[in-house]
Amino acid sequence: MASGTKSKGSNKPKGKPNSANKARKSVVGTARKPKPWGMIIGVIVIVLLAGGVFTYAFTEISDKEKWVVSEDNKDPSTNISGVVRKEYESGQHVTPEQRVAYDQSPPFGGPHDNAWAECNGTVYPNAVRTENMVHSLEHGSVWIAYNPDKVKGKALDTLKGKVEGQPYMLMSPYPGLDQPISLQSWGHQLKLKDATDPRIDEFIKSLRENQYQNPEPGGRCDAQGTGFDVTNPPPFVAEKPGPDAVTMDGKGASAATDEGQGGAVPPATGGETPPATGGATPPATGGTQAPPPSQ
Amino acid sequence: MSAPFSGVSSRAWIFAAAMVAVLLVGGAGGMIIANARAGSDDVAPSAGSVDVGFAQDMRVHHLQAVTMAGIERDRTADSTLQGLAFDIESTQLSQASEMSGWLTVWVQPSLPAPGAGHMKWMSEGGTHTHSNGEGGKTTGEVQRMPGMATTEELNKLRKLSGQELDVFFLQLMLRHHQGGLEMAEYGARHASKGYVRNLAQKIVDSQENEADLMRDFLAQRGAKPLPAP
Repeated sequence: MASGTKSKGSNKPKGKPNSANKARKSVVGTARKPKPWGMIIGVIVIVLLAGGVFTYAFTEISDKEKWVVSEDNKDPSTNISGVVRKEYESGQHVTPEQRVAYDQSPPFGGPHDNAWAECNGTVYPNAVRTENMVHSLEHGSVWIAYNPDKVKGKALDTLKGKVEGQPYMLMSPYPGLDQPISLQSWGHQLKLKDATDPRIDEFIKSLRENQYQNPEPGGRCDAQGTGFDVTNPPPFVAEKPGPDAVTMDGKGASAATDEGQGGAVPPATGGETPPATGGATPPATGGTQAPPPSQ
Repeated sequence: MSAPFSGVSSRAWIFAAAMVAVLLVGGAGGMIIANARAGSDDVAPSAGSVDVGFAQDMRVHHLQAVTMAGIERDRTADSTLQGLAFDIESTQLSQASEMSGWLTVWVQPSLPAPGAGHMKWMSEGGTHTHSNGEGGKTTGEVQRMPGMATTEELNKLRKLSGQELDVFFLQLMLRHHQGGLEMAEYGARHASKGYVRNLAQKIVDSQENEADLMRDFLAQRGAKPLPAP
């Protein structure tokens, strides 16, 4: 009975207060909101902190691994924008008199001279014969070429600082280069404007002595005994190679050596490039003269 | 808008947020631990594996090429061949040292055991045959690897000079490259470590090109290769 009245009593208010309740609830709700705000902010802060920890760990680790050459990361230079890649056949040699009709300027692969240019952190003051430079790339070095008209003073010193004393690095001016700076590794090239561009170091750490990208892991950089004289290197030849040049498929790379020694080709080439031959070829000429007597 | 923050659902939100925070921190911790341990759970190839057999035998094979190339480099008068010899000597010495480094890390002898023979590791599966170094075919181990020069051949090389030296060097080195090819191809296909397969494949590619070059050099000197090993 009492309950009846109670329920009755409560029923009554329930009916009316239903709306009143709602009103109160909403009032209480809005009144309570300020309390959860503290909680909400706290939760958000904690989640953001956790997110920060995660992001930090993730970027630290992935950034570290990004440049480490491994079986899962055979070519870290894919992380660098602007790198041009091409596949080249390795091991095709030409003689000191022959020229190669390269498909790129500066080239970064293809047939090359029997002798490699020294690449033990070597800074060449003058432009060097391209056929020797390409052989150094095959051994795993990075070649920094620059346009001598555009890169001077501080920028030149910055580049030199990346080469001097660094194994598997070499640097030389490349007259007529279409950009101030061009980096070459076997099968890879990156052209740049600015010597302080961070991509220079990224290119070097991705590709120098990269056992997966370089065709001859363990190739040497010392050049004494190869016929290449680092104190008097064969000079760069500005003229375009003639029709007798070795093509990119290596056609004539060795066959032409044969014919060349027969007599037809080298005199022609020699005639066309007397200034080139004049400077540095004593060792080169010595090399070519050796085979003919043998024949 | 007020619903998510009231009553049970507000608890659910806090709970979910806590879960996310725990997962993020836990994930970060996991990455750091995995990064610190990287490589330590790498299983080293064991004795008798293709990796160990390839590293030991190819090292022996390479070191003889280093010896022959050194003789040519010191004695030849031909600057082209001097350069080629220096290239072969340097590259193969460096690669032999790399193999020696692997064997050190794998806690394996840097050379095959005395009298153990060579190329046993190439008989995996039992169907593969290889040259026994004396012109025959075998599936088991051999005492002399294909392409290896004999002591008499090396001594002969040491005494020759001029054109004779150059021709004999090219003949020995060409045969040596041909003999090593089988081993390198087998290593490139069957080794368990990616870096071993990589080096083996580079040896296949670069030595095939070098072999072509030496064939041309022999032809220029009017000489023929030795019979293939």
